[in-house]
Parts: sequence; structure tokens; C-alpha cells
Amino acid sequence: MDVSMLQRTYTDLLTSLFREGILNQQFIELQQLQDENNPGFVNEVVSLFFEDAGRLITELISNFNQQAVDYKKVDAYVHQLKGSSASIGAEKIRSVCQTFREYYDKNDIQGCYNCIQPLKQEFMTFKSKLEALFALEQQIVAAGGSIPMMRH
Amino acid sequence: MTSSQVVKTLIVDDDVSTRRIYRMMLFRFGFEITEVGDGKSAVDQFLTGNEYDLVLMDKDMPIMDGVEATRTLRGMGIPAKIIAITTDANSRGAFFDAGADEFLLKPVNFTALADILKAFNFLN
Repeated sequence: MDVSMLQRTYTDLLTSLFREGILNQQFIELQQLQDENNPGFVNEVVSLFFEDAGRLITELISNFNQQAVDYKKVDAYVHQLKGSSASIGAEKIRSVCQTFREYYDKNDIQGCYNCIQPLKQEFMTFKSKLEALFALEQQIVAAGGSIPMMRH
Repeated sequence: MTSSQVVKTLIVDDDVSTRRIYRMMLFRFGFEITEVGDGKSAVDQFLTGNEYDLVLMDKDMPIMDGVEATRTLRGMGIPAKIIAITTDANSRGAFFDAGADEFLLKPVNFTALADILKAFNFLN
């Protein structure tokens, strides 16, 4: 695939991520912090998020599988995940975390429980799509092209 | 925008990706950066003789939260500018009561942070 085709595929994928609500404006903020001195900044930050969020979600699911669920601990995990997803622009993950916390504040345990599977699903979707995006970036750079920037 | 002086900054947040983002933002201004992952570690930084001009303080952290860490630092007479940065909008009053100088909601906007740093005279 030539560079311009790769760049078009990249732009289409990125646009769809915003259109589907998977990413929000904060992701553009991160892209704007990236420059020639730190070309892998966004990839690095998102990879850190993958690691940390993956761990938090595993802990969440493990907690819900206990006989006596420690909801305070679960809420702390979700709060942390909400903050980190907001920082990188992972809108759908942030939104599910927000919903969970609203149920938690109302002591709606079933509501909390019903958020866990969607949270896991949104994380898997986010991870898979961002990995595809970064793979395209690598192909574009390897082919001598530049990464197209999303406009505000 | 750059800083005409070296602004020694302590980033206090338990999320490593968030710390990385703040680091990148402040690196652009030429600030000197140290990171810790909880409020007690932030207090320990000052107790062991380190000096900072600026602290970016998260709220919900293990061991010691940001409000308590802010209160402790002010109790120690630490004059550093403290910017509270959190998703918890309801903690604004608690942070200012504890002695924070500014309050931002996550996610942090680069321009909003720069405006505060200019108001602190940390940027030209």
C-alpha cells in the first residue's frame, strides 16, 4: 500500500473513532503535545493506559467474583479508571465509569454489576482499535510519510 | 512559551499515564520535573530537603490523598504553588481550604494549565 493510501486509511480510522464516540477531544490534545523530539509520546501514554486499565479491570472482575464484594474497593478502581481514561480521551470507557459511579452513589448494586461487562468490552474495543491505529502509524512512517493530524 | 527560570515541579498522581502527560506538558516549558505516586511520598520529598516551586496534586491516591497532602505541606510552611487536579468537582472547596492555589478538573487542557502558570509568573 502506498503512503497516501495508508494516510487515507489512518484518517478514516481516526475519524471513525471520534464519530463512534470512542475518542474525544482530549486525544487531539495529546497528539498536539507530540513532536519530532517525542514522536512516540501518544503511543507511549496509551500503552501505559492499556497496562494500567487492563490490571484495574482484572481486579474489578476478580472482586465481583468474590462471595463478599468489597464495593468500596471496586469504586476506588473505577474512580481511578475514570480519571486515567479521561486523561487520554477514551470517552466510552470514561462514560461507563461515570455510569458505574452514579449507580454506586445510589447504592444500586445491580446497576454497578451491570456496568462491568460493558466496561470490559469497551476496553477491549478501545485497545484493539488503538493498536490498529498505531500499527498504521508505524507503516506510514516506515514508508516515509507523516502522520495526518486530526483537526479540532 | 518558556520559563526564564528553572521551575522545579513535583507531579503527584497515582496514575502513571496521567503523570506522563503532565510531564510532557511541562517539559515543553522547560520545567524540571519529579514524579511521585501518592500524597505521603509528596510530603516526604519536602521532608527530605527537596524544594519545589510548583506541585500538581491529584486528589484520590493511596496512603495519603491530595487534600491531606496539601494541608500537611501548608502546615510545614511549604510556600510552593499547589495546583489541585482531579475529576472530583466537589473537592474544590476542600482543596482551597487546605491551601491549594488553583484547581483544575481532569482532563487537563494544555492552554488552561499554561494560563495558570503565566498567572503564577512561571512563564514568559
